[in-house]
Amino acid sequence: MELCHAVLISSFTSPELTHWTLANGVHCVAAEMPDAPLLCLDLWCRAGSASEEPGEEGMAHFLEHMVFKGSERLGAGEFDRAIEALGGSSNAATGFDDVHFHVLIPPDQASVALELLLDLVLNPSLAEKTFDLERDVVLEEIAQYEDQPDEQVLQQTLSRACPQHAYGRPILGRPESLKAMTPASMRRFHQQRYRGSDCCLAVSGCGVDGLKQSIETSPLAALPAATARSSHSGLELCPGRHHIQVERLESARLLMVWSGAAAADQCWVVGADLATTLLGEGRRSRLVARLREELQIAETVDMDLTSLERGSLITLEISCNPTHLEAVETCIQEQLTTAELFTPMEIERGRQLVGKGLRYSLESSAQVASMAASHRLWGREQNLLHPLTHLRSWSSERLQAELMQQLHPDRACTLIATPGSRH
Amino acid sequence: MPLPVLKRIPLRTPGVMAAKLLLPWGSACDAPGERGSHQLLAACLSRGCGPLDPLQLADLVEGRGAGLRSDAHEDGLLVSLRCTVEDVDDLLPLLGWMITAPQLPPDQLELERSLSLQALQRQREDPFQIGIDSWRKLVYGTSGYGHDPLGVQTDLENLAPERLRELSHRLPRGPAVLVMAGCWPDQLNGDLKQLQGFERWPATQSTEQPPEPLLDWCPQKDSTIVTTAMDTEQVVLTLGQACCSHSHDDDLALRLLQSHLGSGMSSLLFQRLREEHGVAYDVGAYLSARAGAAPFLLYASSSAERAELALTLLLDSWCELSERELTSAELDLARAKYRGQMAHASQTASQRAERSAQLHGLGLPDDHDQRCLSRLETLTSRQLLVAAGRWLNQPRLSLCGPAPTLRRLESVWERRQSGGVSSSSS
Repeated sequence: MELCHAVLISSFTSPELTHWTLANGVHCVAAEMPDAPLLCLDLWCRAGSASEEPGEEGMAHFLEHMVFKGSERLGAGEFDRAIEALGGSSNAATGFDDVHFHVLIPPDQASVALELLLDLVLNPSLAEKTFDLERDVVLEEIAQYEDQPDEQVLQQTLSRACPQHAYGRPILGRPESLKAMTPASMRRFHQQRYRGSDCCLAVSGCGVDGLKQSIETSPLAALPAATARSSHSGLELCPGRHHIQVERLESARLLMVWSGAAAADQCWVVGADLATTLLGEGRRSRLVARLREELQIAETVDMDLTSLERGSLITLEISCNPTHLEAVETCIQEQLTTAELFTPMEIERGRQLVGKGLRYSLESSAQVASMAASHRLWGREQNLLHPLTHLRSWSSERLQAELMQQLHPDRACTLIATPGSRH
Repeated sequence: MPLPVLKRIPLRTPGVMAAKLLLPWGSACDAPGERGSHQLLAACLSRGCGPLDPLQLADLVEGRGAGLRSDAHEDGLLVSLRCTVEDVDDLLPLLGWMITAPQLPPDQLELERSLSLQALQRQREDPFQIGIDSWRKLVYGTSGYGHDPLGVQTDLENLAPERLRELSHRLPRGPAVLVMAGCWPDQLNGDLKQLQGFERWPATQSTEQPPEPLLDWCPQKDSTIVTTAMDTEQVVLTLGQACCSHSHDDDLALRLLQSHLGSGMSSLLFQRLREEHGVAYDVGAYLSARAGAAPFLLYASSSAERAELALTLLLDSWCELSERELTSAELDLARAKYRGQMAHASQTASQRAERSAQLHGLGLPDDHDQRCLSRLETLTSRQLLVAAGRWLNQPRLSLCGPAPTLRRLESVWERRQSGGVSSSSS
């Protein structure tokens, strides 16, 4: 049936979120998206690599793998077969702060998928016989990353920028730490972290209201309440300038990393998003315009904000011909220290890119669930478009005074990576 | 050829519209010595068009928070716009101007050429990219599918600006399609000829039609493997064959086999290489939707000491497709995954618009996917076996990794070739 356009156009607010909390503290959030072809179930837990204690490096990610090896009820591979036989898909990701497991499923199969997902994640079997084999898979994953020079350069930068902090460690861990792990130590890790208020379930799609009852009587409600764990230190970045050679690089890289406020400071996050957009997104952004379009000394210019709970990271990554490195660095120095205030036109452009970017992300149930869950997990019970309310408060003067000061090159950890000797 | 065929897919979105303009001039049309020409042309189209110089164009698009890009893939040149409903009026004309009135300023062309050359150089850092590029060259040689759309260094360096201008003149002279999906203002519900930007679209059909795609792949018997030595931790294995076009009757059977082999964590390759043997992290199967003989590819990467087992498992999995029928449970699972893939690929306005444009470009009806879903139920394991026997009978292998390991793997390949490629257990 052809839909009337007047109706279509009038309904582009963000999906309405319903928040509630189970008795044991588990956070829940639902987003009704009546037109989404697939429903997303997304279970988040405050069990990222930053929650690892000494000796546990890589455990959060290894556990994420082991979860898919089956539960006390589901045999190895049974979950994947069941979800995919229903026309769905599943995956998981481990970050610094949290880990999440998600399923995309036709709406009429959501109840079954919910039961399977919660059983898999909350009651993993962590069987001895699959443990060694899955460790081999993680070692292959590490080897694959080792073969990607871009990944190497980024990790080398983070290790130097945050040497004393979890954000400086590889999420995948290192072979030696992985080899020391046992199913028993992993079970302890799981039992300590997958608890009440450390978990959040988001559901988004068509008919999510019908799932509330199932959630309230699910194994989520039986999780023990979270206990206070040792608090982790805030992020303190080590400024400096480093140079490495990477054998298989074909062009040079210049990486700069700065630290910023934690994700809880949503106003700062929006300001930093705006600043990185003005500096590094699109041909008319300052760094792209100068380095790539005018001087033509850089091939790619990427500037990103990674909003994190213990302190955010801003990264600038440039690839260029090694002979242009000095000119690139000089230009960045100029742009970040002596450049003029952003013009009203630049500010408006940045606001449009940030605002519309968020609006585009509301199209998919997976992105909506992911945003809703990560905010809720970390105590931000807010509408998905709420961050944009801060956008107007970032004037050119405020950006200059608060963010450009923070992005001074002297406050960055800079890594220059050049191709190895065979070049 | 008159104006592009216009298709509209109204969808309830957060006020988002995606538009895709597909022209039949892709990298497979790159002439000998001009590999990369269509991608370079595509990249230059957004650097000034109609009344807007490069800066004005960037200001307009970025100032609305929109996305505009233009890329050549093997079978076509695709211009993509994503914006919100309030900006459609001002931005949609750009698609017309980019094709009928591109400015192609010399300085911008040289900048794009330089960026393409640098991107090509950087691609050589990635063993997966090298593996697939080598396989493509081995299988397709100098034909249209034999190179990455980005091109080849020497060809790109020597491409004359005048040649790009010639190529740009024929852009609007082939059968084109414009698909809009999502929301747009009511005034855009009229004819395309009334839309600003499209009024200069030529009314006559050019005598120069896109070349016929390569439909029948003729394998060269003397060369079945290519190796690239790299100082890496892992070996990247790429095994595959050129098969049929997306419009061929056997395409659906091959898609089911691809689902069975490589779709999701329950797939045969994932289970066998990763879950049962732990020899790979990234493993999968891939079948492109092409106008011509499309590649059916399996890939995996494995540490040097385990690569031999990984290759054996990959070869066994390939051979089994034409040696035994899928069980009814395997066939049911493959069908369910195929249905699931359809839903997964229809989540955004951009995905819907691109699929619609692709089907039109391949000469397939709008309801092709629905027809496939109906046909799915009647396809039997026997038919899949026959299709595998027809199309997956002469695989070619590309290996990329440390030299000593490559030599060992070459021996495995030679043994399997001399014994006839069949699974090791049979």
